[in-house]
Amino acid sequence: MTHPLARLVLAALLAAAGFLLPVLLGGSTLVYDTLVAIAIFAAMSYGLDVILSDLGEISLVHTAFFATGAYAAAILTVTYGFGAWTALAGAVLAALALALVLGAITLRTREFAFSLVTYAAAVVCMNVASNWDFLGGSDGIVGIPPLDLSVGPVELTAGRSPEFWPFAYALLLVTLYVVHRFRRSRLGQAALMVHMNPRLATMCGLDGNRIRLQVFLLSAVISAAAGWLYAFQRAYVGTDLFDTYFLVLMLTGVILAGRRILLGPLLGTALLLFQKSFASLGAYGDKLVLGVVLVAVLCLCPRGLASLWPRRRSAPAATGTATGEIGAASTRHA
Amino acid sequence: MPSRRSVLAGLAAAPLVPALARAAEPIKVGLIIPLSGGAGRQGQDVTHAVQGMAALINEGGGVLGRPVEILVRDDESTPAIGVAKANELAAAGVAVVLEGWNSPVTLAMQSVLARAGILDITMISKADAILASASNPLAIRLNSANVQDAAIIARYLGSKTKTARIVFVTENDAYGNGAQQGIEAEFKKANLDYTIAQTLKFPFPQTDFRVEVTSIRDAKPDYVISINANEGAGLPAFLQQYAQGQVGAPVICTVGTVGPSVIETTGKAANGLHSADIYFPQTEPFASNPENKRFVAQMQKQFKTEPDKFMALGAASLQVWAKAVEKAGSLDRKAVAGAIRGQEIPGTIFGTVRFEPNGQMQHRHFVFTVKDGKIVVES
Repeated sequence: MTHPLARLVLAALLAAAGFLLPVLLGGSTLVYDTLVAIAIFAAMSYGLDVILSDLGEISLVHTAFFATGAYAAAILTVTYGFGAWTALAGAVLAALALALVLGAITLRTREFAFSLVTYAAAVVCMNVASNWDFLGGSDGIVGIPPLDLSVGPVELTAGRSPEFWPFAYALLLVTLYVVHRFRRSRLGQAALMVHMNPRLATMCGLDGNRIRLQVFLLSAVISAAAGWLYAFQRAYVGTDLFDTYFLVLMLTGVILAGRRILLGPLLGTALLLFQKSFASLGAYGDKLVLGVVLVAVLCLCPRGLASLWPRRRSAPAATGTATGEIGAASTRHA
Repeated sequence: MPSRRSVLAGLAAAPLVPALARAAEPIKVGLIIPLSGGAGRQGQDVTHAVQGMAALINEGGGVLGRPVEILVRDDESTPAIGVAKANELAAAGVAVVLEGWNSPVTLAMQSVLARAGILDITMISKADAILASASNPLAIRLNSANVQDAAIIARYLGSKTKTARIVFVTENDAYGNGAQQGIEAEFKKANLDYTIAQTLKFPFPQTDFRVEVTSIRDAKPDYVISINANEGAGLPAFLQQYAQGQVGAPVICTVGTVGPSVIETTGKAANGLHSADIYFPQTEPFASNPENKRFVAQMQKQFKTEPDKFMALGAASLQVWAKAVEKAGSLDRKAVAGAIRGQEIPGTIFGTVRFEPNGQMQHRHFVFTVKDGKIVVES
């Protein structure tokens, strides 16, 4: 299916089917809870996916961007009484500011050093949040009001999971669209070239550090937007948002299906959370399953579960990039 | 679908349910507590206690003539998972949720439960914010508050010395920081001229305290105050490493953190430590309380164990809720909360209990020392 209109129709049909998924799965509150969590945590994971897949780096600081979005929402609504739209703008701006600072520090490093420095940055952020009263200190911030995105006479509010579903799903769709467009944009292509062939990128006149920073900023905004919505869903933010629970969820979500696959983080997150909600073996059993699955995927199919799927197309035609490898990778999500 | 635990609990209680109660549809009661990780053992004990109390209530005809069914969920000491489990229980149609070992998990869950219109009774978590949250105006807590605990620690230390060097070893979270602030405030209130030689903060899951022990030794304190709610792993590890470090200064553990399981896990290293608590099954006034005797006997019969404070709080939470429902004649959240908050409830494991208007249960504290692996109550 290559005609743009046909692809658009297919995407619209898939989006509509996705929206009806809770009803198709029985419409129980548990189904809504699980799907809302999947949508929010998948959106969170796309922030990391952009860094991992397109810059080739493992960022361990993305929990901080997720938390930044949540904290911004909490402070602006609880402390200052602003609405959810202002909180969203605040979450984006706060994440951009933090990403600018952290990016300037961490993006000078590569690979292992990058991961280590981003981990250290996440620890610093967590300690700041734990000890700064403005951020609620170790108590966190309670009493976040229900989500209210009403515009004029159009009432858009949500308190419980079934009411949250349209918003979580919309956030997911917007995130998917942004990531899709990013990978087809000049920035996305440039990022891939900087990652795959930095010398060629330099020869082409690309400023590697600037491109990496731009991608870092984009990824921070994606994770922060997820954190913003999560704060309204949970009605409480605390330092647990920096916990390894969220980091492991993000990393596993991205790695499980495979890198640079548009639906990869969504499928990975969905697999993890469905197992936890509907086929849980208890905390120890779930962790065992997660560990075994991760080891199996990394050892047997390091490019993710999607690599087991027979590919119908070989490397496509040139995409305007300089290497066939870059071209192949950049179109796999299409 | 009911969990395996709830099915087993139901089966265990079934023979005890009178015919009338058995015929009626059960009232579902949610229980969210860590069943794994550092607090897993204590969480399982609390689960047994709640199930034991459910059996006693069902034996007595249930609540409003209906049997009680306990649905148990593991929050894994993680707020995000606690929220997921709270949503799961709300979907299962529970009338009340008994929850709370870790304060951050309780804080995360209480808004979700309030939005779902489900009464939420905090059994153990101690952060002050739990009762102050605008998102849960009907909060109820059975465990003693930080401020109550702080006063007893200050009073005990004040009876020993008026000037001293103190080191705090404090869990860096809502509970730990709140507890330390409370104790320091009580020192000031009692005009105790104490020097805080050092405050060592650590994350809840920490089990390696060798660096902290070295720092304590260097600080040369007269007393060490340990604020560590990780009774399953962190606190025993600290006490063992502290004993190995031969620092010498007496350790005072904050109220309610030293139960029999901690002493058993810690072994000889627990000897000499001081703490205080609110419940001792074999000490007056509990020993002669018929409700407590019935509960202790049930725990012996059903689980072959003697209850500790945490178990008593778990069981009492269910008992208080059941009595409030009977008094209100309804399962309505507001009506039941109104029958507890600011009210006196007789005939519980703790005797006649009184709740403050903000939902906090009042307590009497008992100071104790661990000697030869046994708790010796001083006052």
